[in-house]
Amino acid sequence: MEKFEKELNQAALERREKRKPSPKQNDLTVVSVYCKGCGLCVDICPTGTLELEDNMVSKFGVSVRIAAPDYCIGCRMCERRCPDFAIFVNYEQPSRGTSNGKTS
Amino acid sequence: MGKRRKVLQGNIIVARAAIDAGCNFFAGYPITPSSEIAQYMSREMPKLGRDFIQMEDEIASLGACIGASLSGRKVMTATSGPGFSLMQEHLGMGVMAEIPLVIVNVMRGGPSTGLPTKPAQSDVMQTRWGTHGDHPIIVLTPAFASELYSETVRAFNLSERFWNPVIILYDEVMAKAHEDIEIPYKKDLYIYKEKNHKIKDLDIYDREIGENPHRVDFFKGYPIHIDGLEHDKHGWPTSDPKTVQKQQTLRMQKIYHYLDDIVKYKEYYMDDAEILVFAFGVSARAALPAVEMAREMGIRVGLFQPLTLWPFPKNILRQRFSRIKKVLTVELNMGQIRYEMERVASDDVEKRALLRANGIPFTPGEVLEQIKEF
Amino acid sequence: MRHYERYIRYRTFPTPWCPGCGDGVVLKSIAMAFSELELDPNDIVVVAGIGCSGRMPTFFNTNTLHTTHGRALTFATGIKLARPDKMVVVISGDGDATAIGGNHLIHAARRNIGINLVLINNGVYGMTGGQVSPLTPQRFYTETTPYGNIEPKFDIANLLIASKASFVARETVNRPVQLKDMIKKSFQHRGFSVVEVISNCHINLGRRNRMKDPISMTKWIDSRTVSKAQYEKMTPEERLHKYPTGILFQDTERLEYSDLYYKHIIPAAKSAAEAAAARKNKRNDASKKEKA
Repeated sequence: MEKFEKELNQAALERREKRKPSPKQNDLTVVSVYCKGCGLCVDICPTGTLELEDNMVSKFGVSVRIAAPDYCIGCRMCERRCPDFAIFVNYEQPSRGTSNGKTS
Repeated sequence: MGKRRKVLQGNIIVARAAIDAGCNFFAGYPITPSSEIAQYMSREMPKLGRDFIQMEDEIASLGACIGASLSGRKVMTATSGPGFSLMQEHLGMGVMAEIPLVIVNVMRGGPSTGLPTKPAQSDVMQTRWGTHGDHPIIVLTPAFASELYSETVRAFNLSERFWNPVIILYDEVMAKAHEDIEIPYKKDLYIYKEKNHKIKDLDIYDREIGENPHRVDFFKGYPIHIDGLEHDKHGWPTSDPKTVQKQQTLRMQKIYHYLDDIVKYKEYYMDDAEILVFAFGVSARAALPAVEMAREMGIRVGLFQPLTLWPFPKNILRQRFSRIKKVLTVELNMGQIRYEMERVASDDVEKRALLRANGIPFTPGEVLEQIKEF
Repeated sequence: MRHYERYIRYRTFPTPWCPGCGDGVVLKSIAMAFSELELDPNDIVVVAGIGCSGRMPTFFNTNTLHTTHGRALTFATGIKLARPDKMVVVISGDGDATAIGGNHLIHAARRNIGINLVLINNGVYGMTGGQVSPLTPQRFYTETTPYGNIEPKFDIANLLIASKASFVARETVNRPVQLKDMIKKSFQHRGFSVVEVISNCHINLGRRNRMKDPISMTKWIDSRTVSKAQYEKMTPEERLHKYPTGILFQDTERLEYSDLYYKHIIPAAKSAAEAAAARKNKRNDASKKEKA
């Protein structure tokens, strides 16, 4: 892992230490084969739920790991930020907050 | 009465033929000597509810034509030498993605800005080889007024049948001259109507050698992908060597398997000829009276006028050259088709060429002098 | 399955873009915008030019067209005129749209033809290795400016507003929700609409300018992003390197080109044809009366 990846993991850990686990359970699905380990989801997650790890399944040898699943608050920013369609939050359920309830 | 007689300018004859053939999209850019086609289309297309647009340059014109052709229209554009040089990249895309297009190139003196108001026949090699890469192309060269009409209709049929761009090539004198022509009624015209509108799957380029692609247009219910990159049978980009070689062969062979349908020509006084005069376009207009005058003097000469210049009528000419051993190529350039003649005719055939590139077309007397000296 | 996945072709995933490239975020935002507008994939065509952004059409499950460099807008003009009822989306990079395609950009804007352009601005020619483009910031190092870029960049928003475009907006890839909403608004606009998306090319531009991972380039973009209201309060020196985001210009009154063609040109032509036919009939009747 490169230096910036280690820094991202450290920042995620620090964000987790400032919070408590979230009361509601949220499902995170990761498609490792599409993940390229860019780290954008790790950076944008407000609660530090995600980290990067070495993983030979991914094309570039690094992929995302769900470090602390009970810290996820279901904001779905990781799903929106991911360029590779590699992470989904609560995949089985449609989201709230849109008029047709169908997406995003 | 089966036809209507009119006096029309050459460019207008071509535009009229395009509308009668069903052309319903024209995107052009003005250039001497083909601006009249765009002007006529701008008046007549809206009257029939069809589309006309003047784009910002020739590259945009051919781009808009390709977009409209992919959306199901019969398209045409018209230009001359400098504009045709600009269109080469999109012409290559039309060949690669197998898109029906009709392009009119009215030849004028070149290269570069050249002689905008004088004729020439110096684009013939460019129409065959202008765009980069290996590509087949069909080029039609009408010479007389009635051929301007019939070859334009044939160009639309060929482009739709073979999914390839077709170029109509004539020159400035034929474009500007007002001539007497009998226009056939639409019900007597042959218009090709067998273009695909349904396919069974998305493998749009999957076919045997000699067949056309099973492609449909956009918005027919199939999410197809059209690409300028080299693609596989599904249309998606690839660089796998076996697939690429197969696609190249398929694109060439869909034209070369049907040479009998594509290659057309006219012959005059060829039965007992000893000299063959090869002329096309405005040079054929000079060569025909010259051949007739020579026959009156007793010289055994015949005229071969190709209507399809590319693919070159090699097989037919080789049959003629088994008996005829003298050939005179008449062209208004510094020598382009004479190289084809050197390639096609065997060594025992004596080859001469009458060439000129100063913007003055040949007169029958000049051609007759050359025939007499032969 | 999410609703927006029906607009995606997964067959050639994973995408060919570098890890962290903004192109993937734009792909997802456009798919989400299609989904929220509940469009039929058969009624959409996505056209692109050459470059990293030009690989995007292969991933959309709609009619797609991958064309020559810089000319995507001309193909889209032909498609829109031929089928004015369909949605035409053009995706173009900054070099593709403003360098070789600059002419077609201003003419499409001037005509107000109903094309929705998503202009992905990463400030460099990424696919060919990182050469300078007309939107590269001044003083940056690229493959063809090894001593620093001396050319200033275009202000695309003002260029398009001056070319009479009727919807001009800007967003960045760091704000995916706002990006999706802006793309959705531009798709709902009838006329020529442009969304300029500030994106990151950390491999080919950032790496030569001390931003070699996606996170530092993301932070650099964020430092230059301001809202339109804040931008208007700034002095000219402060404005120099900032990107105001939001809808920068919108004109809902102007008619779209194909609407204008069908509303004005075709009726005018048909009435001219009828008038000419009426005159001809009158001449024929008059000459028949003379003969009788």
